[in-house]
Amino acid sequence: MTTINILHLYPNEMNTYGDHGNGLALKRRIEWHGFKAMVHYHHPGSSIPKNIDIVVGGGGQDSAQADVQADILNISDALHKLAADDVPMLMVCGTYQLFGHRYVTHTGDAVKGISLFDAETVGGPKRMIGNVMVESEFGTLFGFENHSGQTTLGKSQEALGRVLRGNGNNGRDKTEGARTKNVFGTYMHGPFLPNNPAFCDYLIKLAVQNRSDTFEPKQIDDHLAELARAGARKRSY
Amino acid sequence: MTAQLTNFAGTVIGKLVRLSLSFRRGGGHALPGLVVDSLLPKYVFSMLSQLPEGVVVVTGTNGKTTTTKIIIHLLRANGKKALTNPTGSNMVRGVASALIGKATFFGKLPYDIAVLEIDEASARLLVNKIKPRWVLALNVSRDQLDRYGEVDTIAKHIGATMRAATEGVIANANDPHLAKIGAEIAAKTTATVDYFGFDGSLREHFPSDYELAAVSKTKAETATKKPAVKLNKFSGQNVTYEIDGQNYSAELNLSGQHNFLNGTAALALVRKLLPEVSDADLMAELAKVSLAFGRGETYKLRNGAQVELVLVKNPASFRQALASYDAKNSQLMIAINDNIADSRDVSWLWDVSFSPLAGNLVALTSGQRAADMALRLQYDDVQVLAIEPDPKTALAQLSQRPGRKVILATYTAMLQLYRFLSKNAEKI
Repeated sequence: MTTINILHLYPNEMNTYGDHGNGLALKRRIEWHGFKAMVHYHHPGSSIPKNIDIVVGGGGQDSAQADVQADILNISDALHKLAADDVPMLMVCGTYQLFGHRYVTHTGDAVKGISLFDAETVGGPKRMIGNVMVESEFGTLFGFENHSGQTTLGKSQEALGRVLRGNGNNGRDKTEGARTKNVFGTYMHGPFLPNNPAFCDYLIKLAVQNRSDTFEPKQIDDHLAELARAGARKRSY
Repeated sequence: MTAQLTNFAGTVIGKLVRLSLSFRRGGGHALPGLVVDSLLPKYVFSMLSQLPEGVVVVTGTNGKTTTTKIIIHLLRANGKKALTNPTGSNMVRGVASALIGKATFFGKLPYDIAVLEIDEASARLLVNKIKPRWVLALNVSRDQLDRYGEVDTIAKHIGATMRAATEGVIANANDPHLAKIGAEIAAKTTATVDYFGFDGSLREHFPSDYELAAVSKTKAETATKKPAVKLNKFSGQNVTYEIDGQNYSAELNLSGQHNFLNGTAALALVRKLLPEVSDADLMAELAKVSLAFGRGETYKLRNGAQVELVLVKNPASFRQALASYDAKNSQLMIAINDNIADSRDVSWLWDVSFSPLAGNLVALTSGQRAADMALRLQYDDVQVLAIEPDPKTALAQLSQRPGRKVILATYTAMLQLYRFLSKNAEKI
């Protein structure tokens, strides 16, 4: 049986808004689809293990972001290599910001990112907090945003989707998140993957196919997710 | 305006507003305080200044109500006339309303001391009005992050409250945020800084916010100063506290292990307020405090069924609730709303581990986010029998089920249930 290796970046530092749920959703759904799942944690100072199939990272506090900043530059080459090999990744909020060129805080300090996305984030004066609905090639996506950073994508940078409700990347241009090859960034907590199971399965399919295995999805009972999504659709920002 | 005149005028106005409200149906008990506080901004400070032994503030994310209850019991048992604010009235207007209610018509407060439970976010506004002698800081934990933004922001609010203490602070030695703030206060001011805490062997029972979400067992920072009162061990309700190096054991009546720690906090504070009372006597008195599961909210419905209500408001309190009752022999209903007072972001449910329920059923999920709760449980392999968004209907279904019935609910879901139960059930 194929084992899918999940790499969870900075689980101790970047874990503020229930984003552990993304790792849990991946693990459980991989198992429900009939594969084995193994979760590896990356902590500052360690190196990236071999044979990684999926990478996830969560959101954190501004102070935690400073803690992981030095480390992410150390593993930048390894992450770029994984991205070039079409490995699927999902970076939420704080880690999404670190996957861009840089984050400029509202006091003017610049934090360097790893430039996997052609994007730059500037700390804004007010936090954008509320329910988000996004249209994308993966269908409607639901989540909850909570960030003060405003991210602007470069001209040729693809977004994850278009905001139907909420602020998304910056509250101005209706873009939400980013996509480069199979690397995705988003501001949506919720957590994102349990609330958007089709997207979760898409990441799993990419990972399985990268291992030259065929992905034949099993029937997973997603009626609870559908019910939660129907509720999310009706919420106001 | 002199202090006496402020007290008199404020109290009279407040009591009149209260009286006029009492002719109408329904609540509004914060309104007298709101009116008086806006007309006479000095009212709260001026009233509390009458108290010969001043004001003590209890703050922190979880455990404020219970800890305040224990402190009040210990003070009253030792002859102090102690005043407190009712549960939930922990903002400026709530405190003002409480004072209006307790004062004589002439604005006199016939009490020795006030022990006030203060909401983290209101603390900054309030501490300037009450100048606490002592501040007891219980914990800093992720709570309503859609309101606060970050846990660090909650820590900042609580830190500001602690810095306002004129005599000293008592802080949780095992909470990294509070240990750090305590050390800063000790270094920079003349205020006394003391701690309560627990023995390292009990860590898994009392995770700090960091440990709650972290995946590895890295060491959490604790205060370098030794706690004055420490929870050393417990087995059932038999609890051993170490006070100033001496062990004291007692059979307590505080349901839930988190309340053993709240007891530690209360002891550490009361020792400062009652230096003449021996530690052995305080322990003996603590053993007389009786707290029921949750907040002791049990109702008997018309069909004879009894239901227990427990508030869950953030990952830490949800965890405590799950750890404090017997899942195997209970029928459980979980009601989750997402109004502002509940947390509009329900991501927090994913910071709770539902492994204590593994292999058990949850009878019902309810509330505006009933489906989200059921979805969360699906990923921890806990089966949900029914999803019923309306709490009243869900309650009716729960009451038909056999055995002990427990409802875990967020704040506004709890209020909906209270409203229904107050008319259709008897409080036990």
